[in-house]
Amino acid sequence: MKFITIDKKDWAGGIDKSRKTYQVFGPVQDENGCQIKPLPPDVYPLMDAGVTVMSPKSVLFPQTEKMLTATLDETREDHHVMKPVEKEDTPRVVLGIRPYDARAIQLVKLNFDNPDYQDPYWCKAYERTTFVGLAVTHPDPCDFSTSTGCGPFSEEGLDVLMADLDDRYLAKILTQKGEDWAGACGFDTEADAAESQALFDILRKEAEKNITASVDTDRLSEKSILDLHEAPFWDDVAFSCINCGTCTYVCPTCWCFDIQDETKHKTATRFRNWDSCMSPLFTHHASGHNPRGSKVQRVRQRFMHKLKYFVDKYDQGIMCVGCGRCVASCPVNIDIREVCKTMNNYESK
Amino acid sequence: MMGNLLDHMGVERDRLHFSWISSAEATKFVDVVKEISDKVRALDTGKKFAKDYTK
Amino acid sequence: MDTCIEKIRTICADLLAKGEVQKVIGFGEGSIPMASRPIAVTSKDDVEKLVFNATCGLNLANYVADAMPKEGKLAVVVKGCDSRNLVTHMVENQVSRDRLYIIGVPCTGMVDKRKIADLFEDEITEFTEEGDTITIVSPQKTETVSKQDVLRHNCQVCTHRNPVVYDVMAGEPVEEQSLDQPYADVDKIAEMDPEERWAHFQELTKNCIRCYACRNACPLCYCPTCFVDESAPQWVGKGQDKTDINTFHFLRAFHCAGRCTDCGACVEACPMGINVRDFTRKLNKDALELFGWEAGLDMEKRPPLDVYSPDDPDDFIK
Repeated sequence: MKFITIDKKDWAGGIDKSRKTYQVFGPVQDENGCQIKPLPPDVYPLMDAGVTVMSPKSVLFPQTEKMLTATLDETREDHHVMKPVEKEDTPRVVLGIRPYDARAIQLVKLNFDNPDYQDPYWCKAYERTTFVGLAVTHPDPCDFSTSTGCGPFSEEGLDVLMADLDDRYLAKILTQKGEDWAGACGFDTEADAAESQALFDILRKEAEKNITASVDTDRLSEKSILDLHEAPFWDDVAFSCINCGTCTYVCPTCWCFDIQDETKHKTATRFRNWDSCMSPLFTHHASGHNPRGSKVQRVRQRFMHKLKYFVDKYDQGIMCVGCGRCVASCPVNIDIREVCKTMNNYESK
Repeated sequence: MMGNLLDHMGVERDRLHFSWISSAEATKFVDVVKEISDKVRALDTGKKFAKDYTK
Repeated sequence: MDTCIEKIRTICADLLAKGEVQKVIGFGEGSIPMASRPIAVTSKDDVEKLVFNATCGLNLANYVADAMPKEGKLAVVVKGCDSRNLVTHMVENQVSRDRLYIIGVPCTGMVDKRKIADLFEDEITEFTEEGDTITIVSPQKTETVSKQDVLRHNCQVCTHRNPVVYDVMAGEPVEEQSLDQPYADVDKIAEMDPEERWAHFQELTKNCIRCYACRNACPLCYCPTCFVDESAPQWVGKGQDKTDINTFHFLRAFHCAGRCTDCGACVEACPMGINVRDFTRKLNKDALELFGWEAGLDMEKRPPLDVYSPDDPDDFIK
């Protein structure tokens, strides 16, 4: 494995060089918090921010995406024929993505890119994006990533993993894409691989020690779906929920969407928007029937999906990477760690 | 109050009009429509609450 | 401030033990610093779970209609603003006075959690409140502030700190504030020229993710199907188009015109901390100036947009 050292004095210059090849994304702070956004020419990523309010999933899966467009002008030969929308094809790089978010993208990939179905929009975006990760050296209090199959130095889903060493970054190049990115920036100072890996291991252990939050997930798979579904604790869990979409929108592993056509004058456009299972309309059928018409049903479904159905279906652990965003952002402080504990420990009578 | 809120948001007050017109007041209807058309035409093409599908 | 929690717990234990109420809605302890959460307590043994402090910024009147037990009464812990929302609910026939047992708590304000978080560069690990003194700890430092310095804006301009309707008060009434310019924030925007005002509102909502936390935390928003969820016809798009975002906020504010008590639950719930009160406060000011009206103060009167009176201002109608 190749390691390079990036002197922080060279960081901005390197990013600027890479702008010739890549559209650069990274964390920036504004009055509403820290978000991952496309960086304009003279803006650089905030590399010491904690967890961002929204996850980087929007780089591959934007909240609103134009899919197809058609003309309704019947004098034209191609009227009512839906055509793909011209999209920008520039390669992208996400700087400072955290390991838990990179693992989340791999979990989302199970949905958007699998042997049966490949979502062309997501897959194309994924292929042209390079993920330059920043290891978590100062975990946030809500970070429980070590309980979910990743951790502060996890490499899953990353093309480069960087560790912040005060005056420089030590970067581990993990894939060809990562190599290409480093080349585009002109970062080529190699570091001794064995020493660097040893340092990474030390830093990882330090960071893992600083993670205080955890969940137990060991008994989730052995529980019966029906037992958990019929458990009496859901009413308590769901009481305070206001059924907004906050948890689903900030969550890096939530992937549900809604497709709608909008027309104006003689043009029709097909959009894909994020949708939330918390919304009362989410399962509203055309017949008028709604199998999850009550709040309790929707709250239960969300946690069952994240902590049980996904576990059973994919055998890759829970559908959660421990970023803690839902815990921090939930208006009524519903805590997935508490729900997970309740589910994991539940014994039906 | 709606007009005030729109104005507070920066949308010209002259874009919003209210009138009570009975179906028996055809002449009043014509006058009001003329007045509204003139007032709104005097303003620039409104873009603030218009969806732009080119973006 | 005496947070009144001991009295609240005693009152609730008593009510539940005697069967006077079937359920109490109050606040419980949160799982992270500076958090509290709405909880329902049905047994006197659980009243210790109830808390009341300066982080209890949500409006529990929001839960009343749905949490009403099939029989018997529901008790709810309300601050001044929340109690006014209960009045509005009763006037609007959402809930019946005789099914409610209202536990009023005189309030000296809730803290602005974002303002406190901004005092730190890292994450807060502890938050303690003692009287008017708040101590906040993070790995890097400890800060001690006076609660008055970190109040939410709506609490700074609040003139109804004492509950206006109650079955029992959990503490002594507090002194009401009298303010010279309660709507200074609205005036500040009004002084800008139209383009600046438009830019202000665009900037304000630029990070809105249409999660509807503001709408769902608001006790006034109880429509079975919200206008943004209607599909036949669909009035508003569901995506991130700026026009859709503007329409949602503008129209939701207008649906609350003359009914909003400025409880601040909308801003508190917003994951982005967007001050959507910039929309509603303009309407509150207008309701006061045009109709002499403040929401939720009188159980006998309907809100001004709900009722016609011959001397309503009508110079805007051709």
